[in-house]
Amino acid sequence: MAEFARACALAELPDEGAIGVQIGDLSVAIVRAEGEVYAVHDVCSHEEVPLSEGEVYDHTVECWLHGSCFDLRTGKPTGPPATQPVATYPVKIDGDDVYVSLP
Amino acid sequence: MSVPQGALGDRPPKPALQGAVESTAPVSRLHERQSFDPADFGVPTGREEEWRFTPLRRLRGLHTDAVPGDGKVSVEVGAAPGVIAETVERGDPRLGATYVPADRVSAQAWASFTEARVVTVPAEVESSAPTWIAVRGENAAGAAFGHLVVDVQPNARAVVVLEHTGSATYADNVELIVRDGASLAVVSLQEWADDAVHLSHHHVQLGRDAKITHTAVTLGGSVVRLAPTVRYAGPGGDAELRGLYFADAGQHLEHRLFVDHTERNCRSRVSYKGALRGQDAHAVWIGDVAIRPEATGTDTYEYNRNLVLSDGTRVDSVPNLEILTGEVVGAGHASASGRLEDQHLFYLMARGIPFEEARRLVIEGFFGELIGQIEVPELRDRITAAIERELTVAAPADERLVKADG
Repeated sequence: MAEFARACALAELPDEGAIGVQIGDLSVAIVRAEGEVYAVHDVCSHEEVPLSEGEVYDHTVECWLHGSCFDLRTGKPTGPPATQPVATYPVKIDGDDVYVSLP
Repeated sequence: MSVPQGALGDRPPKPALQGAVESTAPVSRLHERQSFDPADFGVPTGREEEWRFTPLRRLRGLHTDAVPGDGKVSVEVGAAPGVIAETVERGDPRLGATYVPADRVSAQAWASFTEARVVTVPAEVESSAPTWIAVRGENAAGAAFGHLVVDVQPNARAVVVLEHTGSATYADNVELIVRDGASLAVVSLQEWADDAVHLSHHHVQLGRDAKITHTAVTLGGSVVRLAPTVRYAGPGGDAELRGLYFADAGQHLEHRLFVDHTERNCRSRVSYKGALRGQDAHAVWIGDVAIRPEATGTDTYEYNRNLVLSDGTRVDSVPNLEILTGEVVGAGHASASGRLEDQHLFYLMARGIPFEEARRLVIEGFFGELIGQIEVPELRDRITAAIERELTVAAPADERLVKADG
C-alpha cells in the first residue's frame, strides 16, 4: 500500500458534507458522513463535475449536475445516469489531520 | 421575418437589433463570441457546451487567468522550393486577417505569442515537395503559444506537414488561407509525448473554387484538443477534412469541427475515425456543419466512426447539422461507435488467421481507408507503423478485451 498523504485538517470538514482537495495530480473529495470520514475521487464518473460540490446524505455524495449518488464506502453509484463507480481511498485520522492513501 | 403590420410602427429598428435581425448566422452560433482579448471570455467552468467534455483540471491553467509562463516550443520550417517561410513579429498585418478567436484559450494564444511563422506559396506556384513545419516542445511545465499562417495564393498548389512532438503545454492558432483557384493539402500530426497538453485551432478560409484537404492524425499527448474550422470566401470551395486518432489509457483526444457554408455551390466532407483502448481513454468528436440560407447548392456529408477495443474507454461523438435552405445538393451526417465486428474476425479466423492477427488486420483496414488518402507517401507508411505500434505495445496485464457477449 502506498504512503498516506495529508489531505486536510479534521476541523476543515463540515459535520455532514464534503470538501475538495488536490493531492499531487489527483482531486480528492474528503467527506464526513455520520461521523465517519471518507475519501473518493472528486470527479463524477459520468461527466467532469466535482463531487465535493454536492450534498451528502444516506452515506452517499450526490453529483449536483444530474443527481447520481455515490456510496462513500464502495464508490458505486446508487442511481443513473452514472453507471461506473468512482475510486475510493483509505483514510487515516492522525490527531487533527486527515490522511489519504493514494494508489 | 413576418411581423404584423404596424407592430413595429414606422420606427426603424434600433441599430443594435439591426445586425441581429439581418444576420444569417445559424441559430446554434448566434451566441458565439469572437474576440482577440481573452478577458472577453469568461474562465470556463466545464459547464459550457464547448468545454463540457474537456478535462479542465488537466489543462495546467491554460484556460484560466493564471497561465504558467516560460514554456519552450521550437518551430522549424523546412520550406519546399518556391515556398517562402518567414518569422514575423506581432503586429504583422497578415496575422489574424482571416481568423478571430472564438474561445478563451484561442484568444490567450493570440494575446501571448511572441513571434509567428508565415508560409507563403506565391501565385501560380506548384510546389513539388511538402513543406515541413516541425513544432517541438522542450518542456511541459510552462505554457507556450504560437501562431502560424499558411497563405496559398491564387492558383498555387502546396502540401504542408505540421508535425508536433515532444513535451509541451501549448496553445496555438493556425490560419490556412487558400485563395481563389488554389489547392492546399495539410497533414497535422499530433505525436506528442505522454505529458503534453495541446489546444489548437486550425482555421481554413477557402476562396472561389479553392480546395483544401486537411488531415489530423492524433496519436500522442495527454490532452489534445484540435478545432478545425472552415469558412468559404467564394463559391465553388471544396473542403475535405479527415482525421484519425488512437486514444490509449488516460488520453483525452478531442476534435471539434465546424464547417460554415456561407457561399453557394461549395462542398465539404468530414471523415474522422478513431480507436480507443485502455482505462479512461477518452475521445471526443464534435462535428458541426451549418448551411446558411444563401449557401444554395451545398453538398456536405460528415461522419465519425469509433472502434472501442477495451473496457474503461469513453467516446463522445456529436454530429450537428443546421440547414437553413432547402436548395442543397446533399446534406448528411453519421456517427457510430462500437467494438470490432465479430463476423469480420470470424471470416479471417475461419481461414486460419489467429485471433490477434485477425484483429490487427481489421483495425488496419479500418484506418487504411483514410491513411491511403494522405497526400505524402512517406507519411502513409509512418502512420501505419505508428498505429501498429499502438496495437502491439504491451497491453496492461489487467486490460480486458471487450468480450463477445459484452
